[in-house]
Amino acid sequence: MEIIKLALRNLSRQKKRTLLLGGAIAFGLMIVTIINGFVGAFKDNISENFANLVAGHVFVEGVEKSASGKELSLIHDDSAIVEAVKDAGIPAKYVTKRSAFEGTLVYAGKTAQVGVYGVDFANETFLPDRLAFLSGGMKGMSAGDGIVIPEPTAKRLGAEVGDRILVQLKTYTGQQNVGEFAIAGITVDSGILNSSSAYANKPYVNELLNLQPGDYQTYGVYLPSLEGMDKYGTALYESLRKKAQVFSRDNKGTEKNFIKAMMSQSKKETWTGTKYRVLTLNDYLQQVQQIVDVLNSVSLGILLVLFLIIMVGILNTFRIIIYERIHEIGTMRSMGMQRGEVRSLFLWEATFLTLGGVLAGILLALLIMGGVSLWNFGLNSPLFIILKNGHMSFKLPFARTLADILIVAALTLVAAYIPARSAARLDPAVALRTVK
Amino acid sequence: MHRTTNTRPVALALLLALALSGAASPAFAATPDLKAILKAMDDLSDMGKKDYSALYDIVSEKPGEKPSTTQVKIFRRDDHDQIVILIQKPEANKGQGYLKIDDNVWFYDPESGNYSHSTMKENVNGSEAKNSDFKKFSYATDYDIERSEEGKLGAFQTWVISLVAKNNEVSYQRIKLTVRQDKPLPLKEEDFSLNGKPMRTTLYLPTYIQAGDKTIPAKMKMIDEVNKGEQSVITISDVFVGKLDDKYFQKTFLESAR
Repeated sequence: MEIIKLALRNLSRQKKRTLLLGGAIAFGLMIVTIINGFVGAFKDNISENFANLVAGHVFVEGVEKSASGKELSLIHDDSAIVEAVKDAGIPAKYVTKRSAFEGTLVYAGKTAQVGVYGVDFANETFLPDRLAFLSGGMKGMSAGDGIVIPEPTAKRLGAEVGDRILVQLKTYTGQQNVGEFAIAGITVDSGILNSSSAYANKPYVNELLNLQPGDYQTYGVYLPSLEGMDKYGTALYESLRKKAQVFSRDNKGTEKNFIKAMMSQSKKETWTGTKYRVLTLNDYLQQVQQIVDVLNSVSLGILLVLFLIIMVGILNTFRIIIYERIHEIGTMRSMGMQRGEVRSLFLWEATFLTLGGVLAGILLALLIMGGVSLWNFGLNSPLFIILKNGHMSFKLPFARTLADILIVAALTLVAAYIPARSAARLDPAVALRTVK
Repeated sequence: MHRTTNTRPVALALLLALALSGAASPAFAATPDLKAILKAMDDLSDMGKKDYSALYDIVSEKPGEKPSTTQVKIFRRDDHDQIVILIQKPEANKGQGYLKIDDNVWFYDPESGNYSHSTMKENVNGSEAKNSDFKKFSYATDYDIERSEEGKLGAFQTWVISLVAKNNEVSYQRIKLTVRQDKPLPLKEEDFSLNGKPMRTTLYLPTYIQAGDKTIPAKMKMIDEVNKGEQSVITISDVFVGKLDDKYFQKTFLESAR
């Protein structure tokens, strides 16, 4: 106990030095903690924003094969899917049934490529809240041929709300078709993963695609949160394969891209009737996970580099401290203090330094993250994809933060141990007669 | 390196146009046997066991833009379902080329020296339209004759044949063909969407190139009926019908062609 008191007293004697050393530790940990907080929320935010656009976390696509071998995207009878979702115990917050096409919008001699989602707005009540309108709004969608287009598309066409635009597309079987939309609203472009999307009423999209009014192409399940997405995806796959033909999710081929591997199955196989493809948002966001992995590695690298530099600083500072306090060490040793106690004294000083630095670092990081998260970047920010409702958000993974703290503590103690051991080994007589 | 002119759509459109560009001259009955006319029209695009090469000059017009000129050399071997398109103009795209073998298409970029590959059965940009743009169709087998009538286009007495698709996989649900009465040669083709909207009109100018037993329309005008003001005029020259060297249908040809 006396050693601990002594250690605390020594630290308080040299306030400036203690603040600088503790500050260095705090700064290093603060940087790494902020990065961790950012990375922790990065994938969640991308996933949530993307889920809002594609309307779901777990998806089922129906594929039929025509007599000529053409793949047709179509769900005609979804009773097997509905039953499988129920059997799999999926806590569906919303269920979406969408049709979609990639078409060319034409207005006044100008053209623009855009993906058009056919949405049942009476069911997808959450979607209008997610769309940030720059002009117009949902009112115009009450007309069957209304469409909501992203701002870049409107600019490219030189079109405004109320204008009527042509669309050239192919039906679900590949036939050319032409339609006409009335622009109901212009939205901020999310621009994520090339997903510049327009939204139209499903009945009209189905008509253009030559689908029956009750048909659609993708069944989406919106989960209450991102938690358990993969688990529910697997459960739905297992459940659905007992009731219908389903493409395998076991990617045993050479194709590393899971989505491509899934798609290639339908090219190789032949079947009759509808065969289903079960996918999750994580399948689509494989690249995002790769980015997260890279960011995590970078964060760890930064932590190690910063603390190697700080270690050198601590090592040198403790050497100076020992040199400055050499007479004190000699006196304490002459009065009966054991070698181990001298070593402990310096290690306790390092421990308190680490503790203070860690606490300050975490506190500073929390303050900065909290401050930054208050800033509203707006829904039209280019950072939209990594924001949560327009705000930067952070999520500190507990295990990762704890690991960082332990790494910092270990590195600091290792740095302090070398000079502490030298101090412990000092001969009291030699220490007392050393001339500074 | 960024290219100033994108000839890819033009070259791809050519693959489509090729199905209509070759013309044979089979016996043509005076009595309108419409099925026979359609069969003769199908034969126009079929070179059989003979190879085909020609130079295509394409002048494309878009509203508010200056006309752009593209020149491509085409090599076809229908017997093996092979097509090579080599871009010669504009200068910025010179040396780019397409090699089509069966369902596979390779695009060669001489700047990078690389090929990019796609299969004709793949989706285009994830759309629901999975293929068939390049799939050959047959007037005689893929379409029913809805009605026909006599007509006159310019100096020519014509048959105007309205076709409706037998299946929902051909690109156009309805086609209106205007064919010369004296020879089975097209003068006009109007393509309509599923919901009956005009999409494309192709006018075949009555100038022809005779290559062996084949009669090739030398000039055609393709009008985009959806995007008003967009049109292309294709002029064909330097036609060869016979046996081409195998080297033209290999990647090494594109690599050394610039």
